Amino acid sequence: MADHAGRAEPAVRREPGLRSVVGADYETRGVTKAFGDVTVLRDVTVHFYRGEIHSLIGENGAGKSTLVKVLAGMLPADQGELVLDGQRLPALTPRDAQRHGIYLVPQEPRLMPDLSVAENLYLGALPTWRLGTVSWRRMIDTTEELITSVGLRADPRLPAGRLSLAQQQLLECARALSHGCGTIFFDEPTSPLTARDAERLFELMWQMRDQGLTLGFISHRLDEIEAVSDRITVLRDGDVVARAERGTWTRENLVTAMIGRKLTITRRAERTAGPGAVMVDVEDLVSPPEVNGMSLRIRAGEIVGLAGLVGSGRTEFAETMFGIRHPASGTVTVNGRNITGASPRKCIDAGLIYLAEDRGRNGIFADVDIARNATSAIVGRLPKVAGSFVRPWKEQELAQLAALEMDVRASSIAAAMKTLSGGNQQKALLARWMLAKPRVAIFDEPTRGVDIGAKESIYSIIESLVASGLAALVISSELEELVRMCDRVYSVYEGRVTGELAGDAVTLEALGQLAVGA
Amino acid sequence: MTTAKNVTAASPARRELSMPPRWTLLLRRREILVTAVIVIVVAASTAAHPYFWASGNLAFIFADSVVITFLALGESFVMIGRGIDLSVGAIMGLSAIVVGFRIQNDGLPLLPAVLLGAAVGIVLGLGNALLVGVVRLPPIIATLGTLSVYSGLEFVVTNGNQVDTIPSSITNLGSDTVLPGIPVILLLTLPFVLVSAWVLRYTTFGRSVYAVGDDAEAAYRAGIAVQRVLFLTYVISGLFAGLGGVAFLIYTSGASSTTGINDNLTAIAAAIIGGTALTGGVGGALGALVGSVFLTVTLTALSFVHVSDVWQPAGVGVLVLLAVLYDSRSRAGGTRRRAKRQRQGGPR
Repeated sequence: MADHAGRAEPAVRREPGLRSVVGADYETRGVTKAFGDVTVLRDVTVHFYRGEIHSLIGENGAGKSTLVKVLAGMLPADQGELVLDGQRLPALTPRDAQRHGIYLVPQEPRLMPDLSVAENLYLGALPTWRLGTVSWRRMIDTTEELITSVGLRADPRLPAGRLSLAQQQLLECARALSHGCGTIFFDEPTSPLTARDAERLFELMWQMRDQGLTLGFISHRLDEIEAVSDRITVLRDGDVVARAERGTWTRENLVTAMIGRKLTITRRAERTAGPGAVMVDVEDLVSPPEVNGMSLRIRAGEIVGLAGLVGSGRTEFAETMFGIRHPASGTVTVNGRNITGASPRKCIDAGLIYLAEDRGRNGIFADVDIARNATSAIVGRLPKVAGSFVRPWKEQELAQLAALEMDVRASSIAAAMKTLSGGNQQKALLARWMLAKPRVAIFDEPTRGVDIGAKESIYSIIESLVASGLAALVISSELEELVRMCDRVYSVYEGRVTGELAGDAVTLEALGQLAVGA
Repeated sequence: MTTAKNVTAASPARRELSMPPRWTLLLRRREILVTAVIVIVVAASTAAHPYFWASGNLAFIFADSVVITFLALGESFVMIGRGIDLSVGAIMGLSAIVVGFRIQNDGLPLLPAVLLGAAVGIVLGLGNALLVGVVRLPPIIATLGTLSVYSGLEFVVTNGNQVDTIPSSITNLGSDTVLPGIPVILLLTLPFVLVSAWVLRYTTFGRSVYAVGDDAEAAYRAGIAVQRVLFLTYVISGLFAGLGGVAFLIYTSGASSTTGINDNLTAIAAAIIGGTALTGGVGGALGALVGSVFLTVTLTALSFVHVSDVWQPAGVGVLVLLAVLYDSRSRAGGTRRRAKRQRQGGPR
């Protein structure tokens, strides 16, 4: 307690609001960061200047979010240094960063939902009287002023969980100001916002810039980037590949830099057999708020892709098909059976499987061996003694075969799942789902966090399954992946199908245009 | 992402979002609600059995609730921080035994006895605090472990003896009343409740406990030393349990190797009934007092209508389930809370 009260400085509060805060010159020099053996940032040097909006763009996995997290002290850099107004900073925690005036507004506002707006604003540095007593009245008065200055009008005593997402984001901005932070990074703030709310945020950002704050901005929407940025840095696979100042870029330059001109994009394999019967027929599926009327069809022996921004509702659509979310209306027909709203168990029995996007959270059983991870979707169908007792040897044998087929590389089938690399975990999950003998498979970001070698083998596994009659739906944010694999691609925006490309029309350029909403 | 939700979200920056008037909020407070229920239970019991209203009986009920009040107070700090302390009953028992033997054998006076009880509580609470705040064990596992250790120690310390001769100068505090129906011991407890309420509401530490319990990651981002806050809540829980041990001696004038064995869950129950959420971030010290009194009143009322004592633990369970059910039904913004639960995980 003494520790909190003892920090006297924040207790003497300056006039709240925009005017009392200034930004800093903040740069990274040669920052490198790796997660395990995947390098996400490689020798990145970026300079954020006072009074500018500096945007970071790049495809998913380019390292933008990691970079701002390093800048805000959420992640330590492996190598390189952070330099603030010419001073080298030591290793940062979020708390240190805030003390240096650096703040990160996350994509999803992270507030304490049961606590009041005022407390959310000031926590970490509550206004206090001399004895360390929290002064509620002063807090509420200054809150009113401060949140009004960012365009948020709400009762300071209201629980923050009652605010809309857009309002919570404004509150995050106000919080940065209340902590005296003038160097503010926005990690895709607009992706959960409507166009109107985004516009309001931009107005605030411009106002902040004109007051001399330093702003960093991430977005996937190129039109937004072009509208708000004074300076742009393009990242690709952890490298800085292009820099531009206002007036020196074109849309084409940016897209080319983002996507990169990879000379060898492996073309998708020619399918010998043409597509067969319709295996999936989704009619106008709705599950608010993310899925707002999705219709699509997939035939046997066909790979269909879903392209779209993060937050466009693709994963939510898959989850609704697979019975994890409840559909409000619409129908899902798989292999002639109506499975609308059926539980995952029933979907699996009907021949539909879903390889989830977030492997760590929704896929693997980390501490359990590969064998039981592989058989977990078909426990009911395992060979049994007396109809009820699993035969462990048979189970292992089955898992072993499946793992072999999927090319899982591990010391043994009894190794714990968490000891495997990302690529091998993914292959073990493929083994799990193939044991279920699906007719239709949804692969959600099948190669996320997987190294390049494993990527290719995952592609060929999926292709060989499709060659033998599987109907596959691939959700991917990597356009190359869609071009590489898919016979047809639907583009998805705000939970609706907005376009369709088929055959040779599926190109990087065409998808790139569709995905950025152009 | 265009949805009904977002369409309304588009306009709100212009519309004033306000709170309902203060008095309606006051009525919605759990402490008020439970107090109202207590009054109803008392009235109904008095109608059924006039002796219930006798000052002796009311004093007995209030005095009976004091020990649980202490335990629930400490438990509230921990639970608001989204933790749980399963060992409070055992700490209370150990404190009662250690202090009791000193009083019995060495004639320790009241004030040093209270300080000794507090010290024992703090030391045992430090055990939990280290395991949760420093070693970072999940609280339920850490305190389940210390529960076993501490209740085992009760047998070691008593070594076959028990505390049964506490001088009446001390035990009188448990039976004397100031006004009819108000025992001295209740008045001695009230300052602790009020100070706790003040700490929780008006100190940076207190507000930090709520913040950590509401969303540890967000609190960490806001610059709160999450682990240090958690550490302190377990020390405080130990402190109050230690004081509860002294209250137990005053009230029952004895202690044995099994003292406190049934009180761990009762304390948690009292806190939950008083409005402290198992999911953290919500609750308060007054709730601990009101919850404890409610439990005692209701259980006494049951015995007045000739429900056997053996039903008591089951009765406590039912009351807790009702309270939790009420919580999950009445809390607005249920989806947001669900979201919070999903992305718990705490700071790095």
